[in-house]
Amino acid sequence: MKVKESEYLKAKKPILQKLLNKLLAKYEYASILANDSKSTNYSVSKAGTSIYEDGTLSERGFCVKVYDNGKAAEYSFNAIEEDTIGEVFGEITERLDALGKTLPEGVTAFRFDGVEDEKLFINESTEYAVDPEEKGDNDIIDLLTRISEKGRAFDEKIIDCHVAFSYQKYSKMFLSKNKDLTQNILWSCGYIVAMAKDGEEIQNGYKPVSMLGGIEVLDPLEDKLEEACKIAMDLLSAEPMIPGEYDCICEPDITGMIVHEAFGHGVEMDMFVKDRAQAKDFIGKQVASELITMHDGACTIPQVATYFFDDEGVPAHDTVIIEKGILKTGICDAQSAMHLGIAGTGNGRRQDTTRKAYTRMTNTIFEAGTSKVEDMIASVKYGFLLCQASSGMEDPKNWGIQIMADMAREIKDGKLTGKVFSPIVMTGYVPDLLKSISMISDQIEAGGTGYCAKGEKELVKVSDGGPYIKARIRLG
Amino acid sequence: MKEKILASLKRLNIEEYIINVTSYKSAQMFFVKKSLDCKRAENTKTYNVRVYRSFEKNGKEMKGSSSVFVYDGMTDEEIDASLGRAYLAASFVCNPTFELMECTENKFITMESGLFDHTLEECCEKASEALFAEDNRSDAFINSAEIFAYETNVEIISSTGIDSGYTKRKISGEFVAQCKEPQDVETYKDFQYYDLDCESLKSLVRKTLEYTLERAKATQAPKAGKYRVIISDHYVCSVFSYYMGRAQAPYIYAGYSTFEVGQNVQAVNAEGESADVKGDKVSMTLVPTEPMSDEGIWQQERELLDEGVLKTYHGGLRFSRYLGIEPTGYFGCIKVAPGSMSVEDMKKEPYLWVVNFSDFTLDDFTGHFGGEIRLAFLFDGEKVTPVTGGSINGSIIDSQTNMHFSKEIQKSANFMGPYAMCFEDVSVAGV
Repeated sequence: MKVKESEYLKAKKPILQKLLNKLLAKYEYASILANDSKSTNYSVSKAGTSIYEDGTLSERGFCVKVYDNGKAAEYSFNAIEEDTIGEVFGEITERLDALGKTLPEGVTAFRFDGVEDEKLFINESTEYAVDPEEKGDNDIIDLLTRISEKGRAFDEKIIDCHVAFSYQKYSKMFLSKNKDLTQNILWSCGYIVAMAKDGEEIQNGYKPVSMLGGIEVLDPLEDKLEEACKIAMDLLSAEPMIPGEYDCICEPDITGMIVHEAFGHGVEMDMFVKDRAQAKDFIGKQVASELITMHDGACTIPQVATYFFDDEGVPAHDTVIIEKGILKTGICDAQSAMHLGIAGTGNGRRQDTTRKAYTRMTNTIFEAGTSKVEDMIASVKYGFLLCQASSGMEDPKNWGIQIMADMAREIKDGKLTGKVFSPIVMTGYVPDLLKSISMISDQIEAGGTGYCAKGEKELVKVSDGGPYIKARIRLG
Repeated sequence: MKEKILASLKRLNIEEYIINVTSYKSAQMFFVKKSLDCKRAENTKTYNVRVYRSFEKNGKEMKGSSSVFVYDGMTDEEIDASLGRAYLAASFVCNPTFELMECTENKFITMESGLFDHTLEECCEKASEALFAEDNRSDAFINSAEIFAYETNVEIISSTGIDSGYTKRKISGEFVAQCKEPQDVETYKDFQYYDLDCESLKSLVRKTLEYTLERAKATQAPKAGKYRVIISDHYVCSVFSYYMGRAQAPYIYAGYSTFEVGQNVQAVNAEGESADVKGDKVSMTLVPTEPMSDEGIWQQERELLDEGVLKTYHGGLRFSRYLGIEPTGYFGCIKVAPGSMSVEDMKKEPYLWVVNFSDFTLDDFTGHFGGEIRLAFLFDGEKVTPVTGGSINGSIIDSQTNMHFSKEIQKSANFMGPYAMCFEDVSVAGV
């Protein structure tokens, strides 16, 4: 089934077209992004049950972008009718004229030359098997409750089992002088967090699922419950990591965190514009092992960050960032592309229509290799299998790594010993880690239950992943 | 729209509800080096409606809820469909019953701020002027910056007669300081003020430029081992958030936390046994940053800890009702009493003073804290060396009986308390 077009946006289109025409009469470039998005969260735990519309992802709103004598400006609003077009137009011009009249000493407004606006028509939808709205809230809550109760009964040390599901169904429309774009997307995700307690310490085991599609995403969730509970229990007996550099096998979610946090942020080309990314000086150079090929793109894989055009009206790409260890290019939003004199890569994304577009990742992965996971573990004399990524932070300028993982399983003479260490802080220099990759597994796994921030804000949905990788990593 | 929502609730016989109407106006400026790259303005309004439904299940009284957004321009039929679906969803939410917040006093408050003396556009311009005023060094500079001036107007209407609200303004933003020699490094910093505090912003920029200059000199990571670690600025606030997290009503209700009112929660070791507090005792107060919560609770300051002894739990309506405590609402700021040592005293013994992490995190559940070191000063007993790289890996549960806080204080939108704090024997992963 294909996701249906928003009736709300269809009804607003002629009104927005009239507003666009008025803006085009005043400014050399004008566009309008319209969004009709509904996202609902469901969760069940010992603390209770909840169903609520997500305030970050749900909206009906509009963002106007104009270039006024080359100067970029935007205005966000969420109410317009046929009889208020003039009023909205008046407020846009008045508010934007009033801002930036006085600039700090030595600061000037940047002027862009010739904004490109190629003729383009898109009207596309993603597919799904079962629409969460049609499935019904009762069935969803029943399933989550069953898994949660089963988890809580797993062991007396399991004090709670939080099970959640969420989806976002959105329609976006992008209108400019030459562009008429519409897309309708549905993604879904879910997770289990099993919590185990011993003394003052609480540990958790986390198992996610996500996909471009509907409620069918939950089909494999219950099968992951036992593993989530076991991870939480194992962590209760974990020892502190002895700091040092080790041979490590990274599970695909750790690979995903390395792809996304350690390297991906460094090739967001708005950072090139600001001279904030070391990667700018490494284009064409080796930054990783020859085994590594890295992609990012809204059409790289079907996942939660899949779309047909970005929030600036640029079609989705599949960008090869690293090819056999060589850095080929970065990813870019439209305005940064204008600064750099290149074409955008369809990575201009906004948290919502009230926020600016930045260069953002989408679905970011390492390609699969040829090794078997068991052979990779067998190749380690002493080291660790790193599991359950918990957080990460980018450092495009200095390519410093900070990735936190919940667990390292000890490997001795090619075998898992059953000994567990936690928590784990992975640090080091990104190219050193990527160049040290010596084996990669023959299958990839990718997922996206979380969000990516730019700095400390601007949340967008992303997915990441890849194969198991073997690398030399500094752990603390 | 508000009237249309109320009429729909009546048509649908929904007897219990709370409506949050939030209007946002903002002016935003984005700078790259010495250029204004983009400017933005905003005028939006959202309507969030939470509906409640009472029912019985297995002989127990239940109250479920569900919330939806309603938008300007929706027809009566669309509103009925949206609220009707939410009301049906609430019947599947099997939570024990509780009473909604009663109406004690209705009023609309404009929160005091000098920001109301200017238009949002002027606030944004004045903050940008302050930010760039310190950008006059030859060795370090502002690479890029974002400044936001917000006005938020909140109106809360409930089935229990609440019809109150408030208006507040704030300035927030972020900037990146860069230094190119002897090596190219940067420091990210964000800020938030509820007043036009240009002097604080200037001071933040000045200090960040100085630290960035120091980071440019740092080339080595500290050696791996145990250190006496000092942290300062906003990282101190992150540590105290552990006590706030563990004292919240949902954690108590679900059994995640064993904190008890009257218990010395600081005098506890990792095994949950009582232990002597050799360091400074924690006294802290929770401070709301909004006068009313989204559930209609009038919020006020609450003493959380007095010398390590827990004085209260805190939280929203449902879990507070379950625990039989007064609902306190939510707190955006914590106030902590200063400690016994001056920063100079802390620095008399060998130390590793981390002034900038790539990201410093503390996990409420495990008590673990850690982060990668972007810039630290290492004092080996003889000389101070700037270092970078490696990470610290500690536990508040292990450290809480022997922490020291500085006499010197800091003040920001979300923290008022010691400028620095010191932990013994923290594990550092270095070279």
